[in-house]
Amino acid sequence: MTPVVSIDNLHVHLGRREILQGISCRLGASGVGKAIGLLGPNGAGKSTLIQTLLGFHKPSAGSAQILGMDCHKESAKVKAAIGYMPENDSFIADMTAVSFLRLMGEISGLPPAAALEKAHETLFHVGLGEARYRTVGTYSLGMKQMAKLAQAIIHGPQLVILDEPTNGLDPAARQRMLVLIKEMKEQHGMNVLLCSHLLRDVEEVCDEVVILKDGKIVHQADLEAERSTNRRFVQLEVTGDDRGFAAVLHEIGAEGVSESAGNWRIVLPKEIEIGALWRITSREHLRITKLAYRRDSLEEIFLKAVGHLRPAPLATTQEAPVHGGI
Amino acid sequence: MAVFRRGYERYNGPLTGTAARLLVMPRFAWERILSHRFVVVLLMASMFWPLACIAFIYVSNHADTLLGASGVGGGFSKMLEINGKFFNVFMSVQVVFGMILAAVAGPGLIAPDLANNGLPLYFARPLSRWTYVLSRMIVLLGLLSLVTLIPGLLVFGMQVSMAGSTWLSNHWSIGGGMVFGFLLWMVIVSLVAMTSSAYVKWRVVAGALVLAFFFVTAGAATIVNQVLRVQWGSLFNPGYAIGFVWSAMLGLEPPEDGPGVYQYVLSLSVTIVILGAILMRKLRPVEVVS
Repeated sequence: MTPVVSIDNLHVHLGRREILQGISCRLGASGVGKAIGLLGPNGAGKSTLIQTLLGFHKPSAGSAQILGMDCHKESAKVKAAIGYMPENDSFIADMTAVSFLRLMGEISGLPPAAALEKAHETLFHVGLGEARYRTVGTYSLGMKQMAKLAQAIIHGPQLVILDEPTNGLDPAARQRMLVLIKEMKEQHGMNVLLCSHLLRDVEEVCDEVVILKDGKIVHQADLEAERSTNRRFVQLEVTGDDRGFAAVLHEIGAEGVSESAGNWRIVLPKEIEIGALWRITSREHLRITKLAYRRDSLEEIFLKAVGHLRPAPLATTQEAPVHGGI
Repeated sequence: MAVFRRGYERYNGPLTGTAARLLVMPRFAWERILSHRFVVVLLMASMFWPLACIAFIYVSNHADTLLGASGVGGGFSKMLEINGKFFNVFMSVQVVFGMILAAVAGPGLIAPDLANNGLPLYFARPLSRWTYVLSRMIVLLGLLSLVTLIPGLLVFGMQVSMAGSTWLSNHWSIGGGMVFGFLLWMVIVSLVAMTSSAYVKWRVVAGALVLAFFFVTAGAATIVNQVLRVQWGSLFNPGYAIGFVWSAMLGLEPPEDGPGVYQYVLSLSVTIVILGAILMRKLRPVEVVS
């Protein structure tokens, strides 16, 4: 399957400075809606990488491909397949949102009638339906962010590049934006490249993550795979008579070791949900006082990658509340 | 189904071709520009002179009938002759309207895109910098054609229809010269208007800059000629250079001293290249600070 983004020894110079220093990676798979998070401290080269993928900068060496097309040599084809939401305010201030989207749709190649229809449809989708005849310049910051998202998806691109989409949004608008991004990949099969400083946002919507530092990739992780594997290692604290608990665990297909009285380390097979533990502890009249599963949070992964946290010999434990939230 | 009930679906239909996309921005820009009352009034006012010229052509072609009745002699009939000089005067008047139109419409073309950081949105789509410039230029070329090329061809066609094919075979170069001359003028004025729009945010100032460009270069050229007691200083005056090239193409006698038509064509070509380079320098999707 063709990767969505394929970068091979990419070097980019801006002026005399080398911003991207020979990065290589393969991200996503075309035809499968995936979200890729692009992280890194300020000056790491995230924006330069995005702009290179958009064909704004010419690589000084190496190559970058989107959906198998070279970003520099086949720039027009690449641009037809992507949508871009810039970080800063970008719009035509004295146009109504409908006209603005229609213009963007038509430049992307939609026939005029289809562009008008899609403009209305997309504005309703992002929650600007009632304000679609207002000029974009009069919108609040949150509305402008939504208008920027709308222009990025009006033509139904295969890859949507979002640069800090939740910047300046209040919690409700941020949640709405994240829901829209999830819908884009899950319901509409779009691939998303999300560049954000907010690790929570990336963790919430992304399946893969790439961390850049000083123009180099310092970490690349498949969050989806990590999430599924990490769920298997559970740490459990119970009160009551747990002498027969190992056998009970074996019955449901799990394995467990008692570290000390009431302290269990359990390995759950992939197909067994955490709810099974609740059921068997209840059956055995045990009371759960702590239930946690070991995983690296994205923040820890990020801090380790950029050198602000020393790697622990074992993965850090993240506690989860007993009642829900796991 | 109502659009608000339907929900979002990815577009999978046919896409338009490159030529159709090239005309998208001009269509939106024309719609906006023609909604200004001043522009409409200006366009209407620019039609009076072509109408007067058409009336003159009518009189000229029916001089025998009209003068025969009044008893005026053949000398007056020669004065009414339709030739290169007539079209030179016609063109010189029409470009005044064109210049005002360019000063009014030009500043609103690129400045808003730069002020609102709109260029990344355009250049993230299948639209290169060259296509963007061409699209913006088409806006002005289309508008300026309404006051120059189209009335010019109308006047020329009217003369051809009244004077017949013999006149056309003897004077076809006037038609060609007019078309080429107007195109040359429109390209230069469009580039000046777009460059001023790209560098100056305020529309009034950018509009004034379009007019100032021709006055300042004319002044500079005069100073060079006067101080150095030469004629080649006129090469720095695009307005004069265009007029000189027009005259040559319309078959009029050029002044004996000073640069020739080829030198003026070369100077105008250099002007076009310089204006294009200055404009392209400003039109970048992202600012790069070295």
